[in-house]
Parts: sequence; structure tokens; C-alpha cells
Amino acid sequence: MEIHWPLLLLILTPFLIGLSGLLSRNRGTLDALQCGQAGILVVSVILVAEEVLTSGPLSGLFYLHTDALSVWFSLILGIVGATGTLYAVGYVGEQLDRGAISFKRFQRFFILFDSYLAMMLLAVNVDNLGIMWIAIEGSTLLAALLIGFERNKGALEAGWKFVILSSVGIALALFGTILVYYASENVMGVSEEALRWGVLHQVADQLNPEAMKLAFLFALLGYGTKAGIAPMHTWLPDAHGEAPTPVSAMLSANMLTMAIYAILRFKILTDQAIGPLYTGNLLVGFGLFSVAISAIFLLTQQDFKRLFAYSSIEHMGIALVGFGLGGVIGVFGGLWHLLNHALAKSAAFYGAGLVLLRHEHKIVDQVPGLLHGIPLAGVTFLIAGLALAGMPLFGLFISEVAIATDAFTRHPFIAYGFLLVLTLAFVTLLYQILRMVLGTPVEQKVLKLGQRCRSFATVAIAVNLGALTCIGLYVPPGLSDLLGTILALFGIPGK
Amino acid sequence: MNWEGWLLTFGQIVLVLGFSPFLVGLIKKVKAHLQCRQGASMFQPYADLTKLFRKEVVYSETASWIFTVTPYILFSSTLAASLLIPTIFTPLPLNFAGNIVALVYLLALGTFFLILAGMDAGSAFGGMGSSREALIASLTEPALLLSLFAVAMTSGSANLSTIVYKTALLQDIVLDPPPHLMALVALWMVTAAETGRVPVDNPATHLELTMIHEAMILEYSGRYLALVEWAAGMKLMIFLSLVANLFAPWGIATNVSPGALGMGLVVYLGKIMGLAVIIAFLESMLAKLRLFRVTEFLGVAFILSVLAVVFFYILRVE
Amino acid sequence: MSNLQITIGSQLVNLCSVLLLLTCFGIIAQRRLLACVDLFAIQSMFLAVMAALVAYLTDIHHIYVAAVLTIVIKVIILPRILKQVVRRLDVKRELALYVNIPTGLLICGALVILAFFITQPIVHLGFLLTRDSLAIALAIILIGFFIMVSRVKAITQVIGFLVMENGLFLGATAAAYGMPLIVELGIFFDVLVAGLIVGIYANQIQDTFSSVDTSHLKNLKE
Repeated sequence: MEIHWPLLLLILTPFLIGLSGLLSRNRGTLDALQCGQAGILVVSVILVAEEVLTSGPLSGLFYLHTDALSVWFSLILGIVGATGTLYAVGYVGEQLDRGAISFKRFQRFFILFDSYLAMMLLAVNVDNLGIMWIAIEGSTLLAALLIGFERNKGALEAGWKFVILSSVGIALALFGTILVYYASENVMGVSEEALRWGVLHQVADQLNPEAMKLAFLFALLGYGTKAGIAPMHTWLPDAHGEAPTPVSAMLSANMLTMAIYAILRFKILTDQAIGPLYTGNLLVGFGLFSVAISAIFLLTQQDFKRLFAYSSIEHMGIALVGFGLGGVIGVFGGLWHLLNHALAKSAAFYGAGLVLLRHEHKIVDQVPGLLHGIPLAGVTFLIAGLALAGMPLFGLFISEVAIATDAFTRHPFIAYGFLLVLTLAFVTLLYQILRMVLGTPVEQKVLKLGQRCRSFATVAIAVNLGALTCIGLYVPPGLSDLLGTILALFGIPGK
Repeated sequence: MNWEGWLLTFGQIVLVLGFSPFLVGLIKKVKAHLQCRQGASMFQPYADLTKLFRKEVVYSETASWIFTVTPYILFSSTLAASLLIPTIFTPLPLNFAGNIVALVYLLALGTFFLILAGMDAGSAFGGMGSSREALIASLTEPALLLSLFAVAMTSGSANLSTIVYKTALLQDIVLDPPPHLMALVALWMVTAAETGRVPVDNPATHLELTMIHEAMILEYSGRYLALVEWAAGMKLMIFLSLVANLFAPWGIATNVSPGALGMGLVVYLGKIMGLAVIIAFLESMLAKLRLFRVTEFLGVAFILSVLAVVFFYILRVE
Repeated sequence: MSNLQITIGSQLVNLCSVLLLLTCFGIIAQRRLLACVDLFAIQSMFLAVMAALVAYLTDIHHIYVAAVLTIVIKVIILPRILKQVVRRLDVKRELALYVNIPTGLLICGALVILAFFITQPIVHLGFLLTRDSLAIALAIILIGFFIMVSRVKAITQVIGFLVMENGLFLGATAAAYGMPLIVELGIFFDVLVAGLIVGIYANQIQDTFSSVDTSHLKNLKE
């Protein structure tokens, strides 16, 4: 079993750096370590991507296995994770500078944060259903601790809801996993191999259809809870609203994406067993419902972090519709959407964090004129907001168009519904964003942001938005090759 | 019915009449020992019954004929019910006369009259006991019926003798732990409720406000009280026989030879006494439930019996 | 392993599954929190016994490990943590419920029937010992979910979650002969950590709200 250094590095680095945070005595070391982590994450994920592109799926020791789909999601997790780390250094550092938290809590935050990133990266890079579940559950537990980090009433309530609902979801997902194991055991007997993707794909047509249907349903309900799919989304606005902002960014961009990854793995397997109609219908149904629900609630939000949280629900719904429709364009749309959404949403949260630090509240009505007040945050909100609303020029527009086209060619009614709710969401989100960005700032007490915080935040935001605009305008060849390989995985010929 | 049948029937009457006071005495003795005292002799209830039969009857002027008739109705209906349940021999000579439904409703007849009699004398405690007993009876009846039906379904007949016969010989039945276990637990809970034992009702209490069964018979004296107490003992024996012989009838006599009958008697008495000791232990360990918690207790019994039937039906359909 | 042994064995496993279901009903019918924790411990004990039985009957040795882990974590450690939390928070009874107990019992009965219907199509797959254990496992999961949803006190919600996990373990062991060892270990670890985290949260909620009534956690709406 060869050891692929980049892959190992990708996953182990956050673990190790998180642990070493325990040992660092002063702020400077901690900051340096985190920056190092960010750098290593980006580099190693690109190396892994290249390796998989050139030589096919990687297998490593201890169930690690990376194929094209894993690489796509690792890219998302890695890059957003890196910028998230940088941003967290700035944000939590600012809180430390203001005396809102002690150094010990500062350390503890980074231990949790880094382990959280590591768990998520582990989850998308294993080929064993059970280990994937363990990693996702691990990340859930760490997220629970992170959400309640600030220990005020709102945070505790959000954290408790999160723990309860996620636990239920995770348990349902585990039941789905057990059902898959039950089905595969019938074919292969009791064996450790019965949970591995590669093996399961080979025997997929022999797996009992009823069992696979049930398994997919439970997995969708369970991992869908983690992905914020309506009607299991009720924990999401609270959690994203009350968590510390770097954590909100990670939740929105990374954790939801990771949950969708899990659903996709089940979908691919189930499609091979019983054909794509069943899963497609379920995904499209839940996806449309999520978009509709979020579109309705977007209008009434008064807290900008919750606003972005509902926007996340909407985008996850769009991605699910894309995957559910199947077909080349649909899947492409879904994947592209996830990538762009992660970049844009995390940037939006970075900006939101800056506003929160400055104004000490999250109320939309009371922070107009951000372009003048905090130019950095204002510009971020503008660009990220436009991207999220689906403006042309940005990748999200392309993916939404792709999905809509796919819908039109297959089920026109779904397309009509889809476009209707999309327009609704577009209008409401844009309205809220422009309200905050334009206009003149209101006279109120604000806290100045430290220079350190601002520089870290600027770097993070710049990388995100830069990547966003770049890939909106031009798809690098590596990415398109990757997409081609993934489509093959989905069993779709062509492209 | 031939002479064997008559003999067996009389034998069962004698057994039930003769042994039930001993059973009550046994439970009291075991409880006493658990409380680290000697307690009365196990044969004390016989002495009590004899004494009561000799005493004068005194009852309220405002009581109607129901009051005087009830002890006889209670006694005879309980005795008749006991003749439907196999104790040492199965199938019983009289088993053509009734099945599970007949059993439950014979017992219910006695309870009904007792409830009326409790209110008849016009005392406050009697009325209170009656209303509580009515609540409990209405909750136990479905649970009792359903749990017995669950067992009946395994052997395909609602006739108690047939069920016990088939189970004892292990022929023609469906062996399945889950419904049986649930039915057993449900039946045990119903036993505690119907025979007035802790955790539903404390038979040894002196506090009228906590009484249920005792409150209804507060006004009785002399031979009436003797009959009512005897009937209560017989009811206990009936329920313990149900538990023992429906779920674990092995050892019961299926032919009329002296050897089989003898062994059947010994095994039966052993089982009944064992169950009585278990009741005594439970009475010493548990506390009596508050009245409104009794509804929850019996709710659990009901659900269990429903599930027992459903389990059986679903499992059999496959 | 002779045929008779297998038949008796599968009946015994069935028996254990039903005992688990009975303890679930016990938890629903209970108001006293310490009694709920004890019932959970008893349930886990039955679970361990059943796992050991399955291990014995199928000669798959790593299930023994799972059985031992169940005893250590779910019978000894977790109940102790939960009881400490209960004592520290000084909550003894669940006074207000969203759904009263008899109705709750009826709903749980319906959930059991529902679980049987859901698993009906796949139960026949068993060359395995224990077909209806899968149905009972799903029933326990649903009942655990119901406990979480219908109770007010944080501790009982946690117990509901742990009951769900027990149901999952039952499903994995009895229906699928246990997941691979590494997965079992991971799951146990996760359950333990989840229990700890919930304990932490309950303590923090108590500190902040001075009560573990989750009806206080109603401020974030919409």
C-alpha cells in the first residue's frame, strides 16, 4: 500500500496543527501555525487533484481512497478551509485583542476548528461507508462544540437544537448504512469488504432493490438533515446565526457540502442497483421544497447571518435538483454550483463577520451603507451577494441555467417551478443585500477593527472572491477534466 | 358427561375452594418474613373464614337487595369461572360451556355487582372504592381480553382447555417468544390490577382513602364478608392459574390416570405457590401507585397486549 | 451448529429483542428521570446479552468485543454520567410532557406497527438468524425519536437519542451480524463523545438558564 504524501498531509495537517495548538504558548506561534496549515491545505489538495487526474483513484492506508468525486469535494473543503483558517485567525484574534475571550479559549477554538476541518476532509476521502459515517458524526460533534462556543443564551439554544436534530439525522443515516450492509451481505456474505464503494459498485446489480430503496431514503433523510434540506432544516438558521462567524462560514460552505457528498455516494450506488428514477424523484422533490421554503423565509429575515443561512438552504436545494435530474448538464450544474456556492458563501460570511465585529449586532435594518462604512465588508457583500443571487458573470448563474435547461428538456413543469422559486429567491436576496450595501451609514456606535484582523480578512476574502471570479469567467482545464471523470462515475456517458 | 367428568369437576371445585385461602395466607406469610417478623400462620385465613361464617350479619338499613345478593353472585360467578380454567387436568369436562370471553365476563359479572354493592350502603368510602374499581375494571378488560387472545392465536382456538392441551403437548401451535412474552407481561400487570395487589391496590392497608377493593367491602360482615373474601382468594387463584397454565402448562395431566393426575396436582400447586411467592416479593419491593398513575400502568398493559396480537398476526401472515 | 441449536438460538435472540422493546415502553411510561436512566442501562444489558448470543451462534468473534464495549460504555459509563448530571441539576421528575403518557404509549404502539410495515419487503432476505430483529430495531429507533420529540427535559431527550443508538446497534448486530469491527469501534466512540457533549451542554444550559427545561430554549424562532 503506497503512501500518498499529499493525501496524508491533507488530512493529517489540521489534526496535528490543532493538537500542537495545545503546546503553543503565545499568540504569534499559534497564528503562524494556522497560516502554515492554510498553506499546506491548499498545496496538498492541488497536488492530490493532479495525482488523481493523471493516474486515477488513489488508495492509501487505512481505508483512505480518493477518486474524482472525492477530489472535487476535497478541493472545495481544502480551499475554503484554508481561507477559513486565515479568516478565523483574524476574527478570533480580534476578539482576543478586545478581551472578549481569554487566550485559553483562543487555543481551544483552534483545536476544535482544526480538528473539525480534518474530520471533514477525512469523510470525503474514505471509501468505507462506515468510516465515512464516523467521520461525519465526528465533525458533527465538533461542530456542536463550536456552535455553542460563545456560551450566550442564543448560542446554547442553537447548539442544543443542532445536537438534537443532527443526532437524529445521523442515526437515520446510520440505519441507511446498516441497510446497505444488510443488502450487500446477502450477496457477499459477512465481510469487511461489504462496505467499500469499489466492491459495492461491482455487485450493485445484485443488491436487493427494496433494501436499497429503503437505504437511500434513510440516508437522504439522515444526511439531508445535515445538509439543511427542508423540512429537516430547522436547526440551520439558528446554528449559522449564533455560531462564531468563521464557524458559520465553515458550516455553510463545508459541512453542508460534505453532507451532499454523502448523499451523492448513496445515490450513485442506488442508481446502479435500481436505476435513477427513484432517487431522482426524491432529490428533485426535496430540492424544490428547500428552495421554495428558503425563498419564502428570505424575505422576512432581520439578521444577516440568518439571511445567509437561508440562502445556503436555497443553494443546497438547487444543487439537489441538479443532481436529481441526472444527465450530463444536471450533474455538471450541481457540482459547479457547490463549488461556487462554497466560495461565495464563505466570502459573504467573512464580510458578515466584519460587520458584526464592528457593529456588535446582526440586524439588517441598522447597517445600511456598508460601502461607505466598511468598504471591505461592503464590497464583499456586494460581490458575494450578486454571485449568490445568481448574477451572470458568476459560476452560480451558469450552474442555475444549466440545471434549468436540463429540467426543460426532461420535465418542463419542474423547470417552471424551479425558475419561479429561483426568481423569488433572487429578488429577495438582492433586495436585502442592496439594502445593506447601498445608502448612507446610520450614526451609531461602532468599534474599530484592528489592523491584524483586517489584513487576515482581506487575504481570505480576496482569495475567495478572486477564485470565484476567475472560474466564473474561465474554467481551468484541470477542472473540466475532473468533471468529465466524475460524470463517468455517475454512469453518464459523454461530455 | 361420564362419572370421570363429574369426579374431575368436583375435584376442581374442592381444589379451588380449599386451596385459595391457603394461597392468601402464603402471600401474607412471605411478606411477613420479608418484613422480618413471624406473621400469622399460613392457615389463618381458614380460621378467619370459619369465624366469619359463625358471626352475625349486620348491615345498613338503607341497603337494598343488591347488597345482600352480591356476595352470593360474586362467589358463584367466580367459582363458575374457575371451572373453565384447567388446573390439574385438561381438557376440562365443562370446557364446552365457555371460552375466554365467557371467563372474562363471568369475572366481570362479579365485579359489576360488587361495584353496585359498594355504592349501595350509601357510605362515602364505598362509593369512592366503587368509582375507582370501575375505572380500573374498564382499563383492565381490554388488556385482559387481548392478551388472552394473543395466546389463543398461537393455538388457533379461544377455548382455554384446548389452548392448554395443545401447548402442553406442543402440537399444532406456533412457538414464538415475542407475542408470548408481551402477553405474559400484560397479563401479569392485569393480574396485579384485578386481584387488588400492589402496585395497584394495597390489600393490607388500613387507610380507607387509599383502598379500592377493601373500600367496597367495608360494610360487609359475617357470612357475607366470608363469601366476598373467599371469592377474592379464588379470583387470585384463577389469575395465577391463567398465568401458569397458559404460558407454561407442562406437567399438567392429559389423561385420567392416577399417576398423571397426581403429578399434575403437585406441579400445579408448585407453580401456583411459586407465583404467589413472586407476588409477595413484588408487593414488598414496589410502592403502590397513585390512582392516576394506575391509568398509565394499565395503558402499558393495553399496548403490550395490542402489540402481542399484532406481532402474532404480522408474523403469521408472512 | 445443529439445526436445533440454531432454532433455539434465533428464538432467544428474538426474545432479547422483545425485552429491549419492553424496556422502551418502560421508558415512555416513566416520569422519574433516574428510573429512565436505569431502564436504559437494563436495555443496554439486554443488548449486550443479545450481541453475545449472536456472536456465539455465528462464530463471528468481533461481535463479542462489541458486546463487551456495550456493557462498559452503555451499562456502566453513560448511565453514571447521566445520573451525575441528573443529581447535579437536581431534576427528578418530568412534570410537563408535550404528549401525555397513555397517548404516548398508543403512538409508540403505532410506531412499532409502522416499523413492521416498512421493513416487511426486506425481511425475507434473511438467511440470517434473526429476521424480525430488523423490524424491532427500526421500531426502537422510531420510539427513541418519539421520546426526543415528546419530552421537555433535556436529559430525557438525551436518553431518547441513546435509545435510538441502541436500536441501531440491534439492527446492525442482529440483522447484519455486526458491522466490521473498526466501524463498531468508531460508532461506540462517537456515542460516548456524544453523551459527554450532551452532558456538557446540559450543564451549560443549567448555568445559563437555571433550568434544564428545554421549553426555555424557544427564543430563536423562524
